[in-house]
Amino acid sequence: MEAIASPITDTQESIQTPVLINGSQALMKALIAEGVDTIFGYPGGAIMPVYDALYDYQEQINHILVRHEQGASHAAEGYARVSGRVGVCLATSGPGATNLVTGIADALIDSTPIVCLVGQVAKRLLGTDAFQEADIMGVTMPITKWNYQITSADEVPEIISKAFYIAKSGRPGPVLIDITKSAQLELMTQPFEYECCQSLVSYRPRLTPKKEQIEAAAKLINNAKRPYIFAGHGVQIAHAEQELIAFAEKTGIPVATTLLGQSTISTDHPLYVGWLGMHGNYGANVMTDEADVIIAIGMRFDDRVTGDASRYIKQAKIVHIEIDPSEIDKIIRADAPVVGDAKEALQALLPLVYANDHTVWRNEFRKFDTIEHDTITLPALTNPEGKIRMAEVIDTLSQKTKGEAILVTDVGQHQMMASRYYQFRRPNSLVTSGGMGTMGFALPAAFGAQVGAPDRDVVAIIGDGCFQMTIQELGTIVQNKQPVKIIILNNNFLGMVRQWQQLFHERRYSFVELQNPDFITIAKGFGMDGMTCDGRENLSGALDTMLAHEGPFLLEVIVEKEENVFPMVPAGATVSQIRLS
Amino acid sequence: MITYTICIFTQNTIGLLNRITIIFTRRRLNIESLTVSETERKGVSRFTIVIKSESREEVEKLVRQIRKIVEVMAVFGYLNDEIVFNEIALFKIATPLGAKSLDVETINKQYKAWVVYWGLDYVVIEKTGSEDDIFGFFEYLKQYEILEFVRSGRVAVGKTEKGLVEYLPEAEWAYYL
Repeated sequence: MEAIASPITDTQESIQTPVLINGSQALMKALIAEGVDTIFGYPGGAIMPVYDALYDYQEQINHILVRHEQGASHAAEGYARVSGRVGVCLATSGPGATNLVTGIADALIDSTPIVCLVGQVAKRLLGTDAFQEADIMGVTMPITKWNYQITSADEVPEIISKAFYIAKSGRPGPVLIDITKSAQLELMTQPFEYECCQSLVSYRPRLTPKKEQIEAAAKLINNAKRPYIFAGHGVQIAHAEQELIAFAEKTGIPVATTLLGQSTISTDHPLYVGWLGMHGNYGANVMTDEADVIIAIGMRFDDRVTGDASRYIKQAKIVHIEIDPSEIDKIIRADAPVVGDAKEALQALLPLVYANDHTVWRNEFRKFDTIEHDTITLPALTNPEGKIRMAEVIDTLSQKTKGEAILVTDVGQHQMMASRYYQFRRPNSLVTSGGMGTMGFALPAAFGAQVGAPDRDVVAIIGDGCFQMTIQELGTIVQNKQPVKIIILNNNFLGMVRQWQQLFHERRYSFVELQNPDFITIAKGFGMDGMTCDGRENLSGALDTMLAHEGPFLLEVIVEKEENVFPMVPAGATVSQIRLS
Repeated sequence: MITYTICIFTQNTIGLLNRITIIFTRRRLNIESLTVSETERKGVSRFTIVIKSESREEVEKLVRQIRKIVEVMAVFGYLNDEIVFNEIALFKIATPLGAKSLDVETINKQYKAWVVYWGLDYVVIEKTGSEDDIFGFFEYLKQYEILEFVRSGRVAVGKTEKGLVEYLPEAEWAYYL
């Protein structure tokens, strides 16, 4: 009997033996389990097994081949910022991984959830200065929310689920996972199973604020005579735009935004008073010194907002709603800290605050609007002398897109002009590099944003200096047929540096003038249509042509060479020392 | 300058020491001493870091930045009177033939220190105590030839009855005790 039974048993076992997969395949399955549909990446030696596995999953995961890994990390940021999902990028070891670094640092300071998957040399070669080995764990430790090195295939499911959970929960941020080539190739010792991470022993972000903190905040707000709301990026991250508006409308409190908080509330909302900071609005800045209670929501009192922090809003009590407890009291001491998600905090606050109007207080802002409009805005938009001004381009664009496009800006004068003159009508419409101020951000981020929001118009506003930092991503845009519209505001200068040299370094223009290439020829070389606009009379038509174009389009606008961005709070000054000229 | 003792409870993972010390480096805070060991819970490490700072506020900010690290479970900043703390020091003293002989009775009774190793022409003396105790003993031993001197980082426990157990999140930690 045994002699007959044995072969049958063997056959049954061979049927039941689960197929074991390698680390790369496990990675693909894990990404799919996390709902990843897009990866921005660049292959290379140490990530080849992952790319080999990716070949079998092309139907489920759209891989976008960028032209430089920095483009991958910025594209992942753009994707994450507009889609509200985690951006994913993939790179090889050594130079591939280090090229991601700028985007990772940018994502950390602007609270953007991205997961960077990078190859690493085989485990046996670790620490031997092997070919294309870089200590990317050490390099990225200070600029990631979390990083981890996977050295065995069995670790893949648990670590990937942790990576996504950490990247998107609490205050979002970048996570880097370093995967040795040996872990990519070796078989798992057990069948693949995946469970999305929901919590960790040591990491438990507080979403629901404590009741007593909410009550203390409500008390301060209800007793305020001149309350003032600062809305930051955290409001958008928490999808709390509606709650913010409901809260402001019930209490009648004026709302200013930070740079990254722009578009949280429509710029034509009667309670919107402008944006804060170095190049923000006159009234929005000056009136911070008049408020008696400031309700800061999802913002971190960046030095570009506060100016000299030691002399900033000393007269006001501060309610600080913030999901990251380490931001409380970091720059400005809060009288009523509320640790938690902005949406939950505002929902909890709403029934506790009194309905109010604050008409007199709100009207005080308007006299500054008039001053700003007469001294800065009107001349910038109606001066027929000289070359086109940046303000005119943005203003015309704003009208033509009805304020509904997603604006992706690079860093510099054009960034500040875009923020000043675009009339945002929809939430989540400004993608910019705020904390890091990364030149070269916009082109890949705009591409990522278009992938993340395929139904919206995406317009990148880029300076001629910034454009040349990631110009090669034109190829990515063309190859992937994304209809990104690109406007280069070309003044042949590194404009913001030149402005500072003019104002603070006696016009000593040290290495800021650029000899630029023919951008349109370059765009055409990549297969992208484009045109140059050099006259005020052609601006409207050129923007119409760009917006009507079906695919991607590059519009170069030759702008006034030495235009300055005002208002301006000089570095180290107080916000009330804001300059109008 | 006030001395603060920062106690950090973490999961025991590779690279965490680096992640923690980066925070001190960025804030230009010098680490006076650092001790790491596993706690009574398996997989939970305890860092004891001593710093000197003029600003309590800076130390509070530091504590919050450290708490932000994903693997960190709890962080406490203590003043000296809030903890029981000690260090250990070893002194290697030359005892060649004809040299001044050690006064072991004084070492034992006055300084509560012990000879823990006898070499052919040297001895090793162990002294446990605060930084002041150890340097007081150092002064005393200067009359002999000190061949080597080494001092450990501080170890400390809070004076409240319960410490770790109160604050760490519930989990299936295996207890050594």
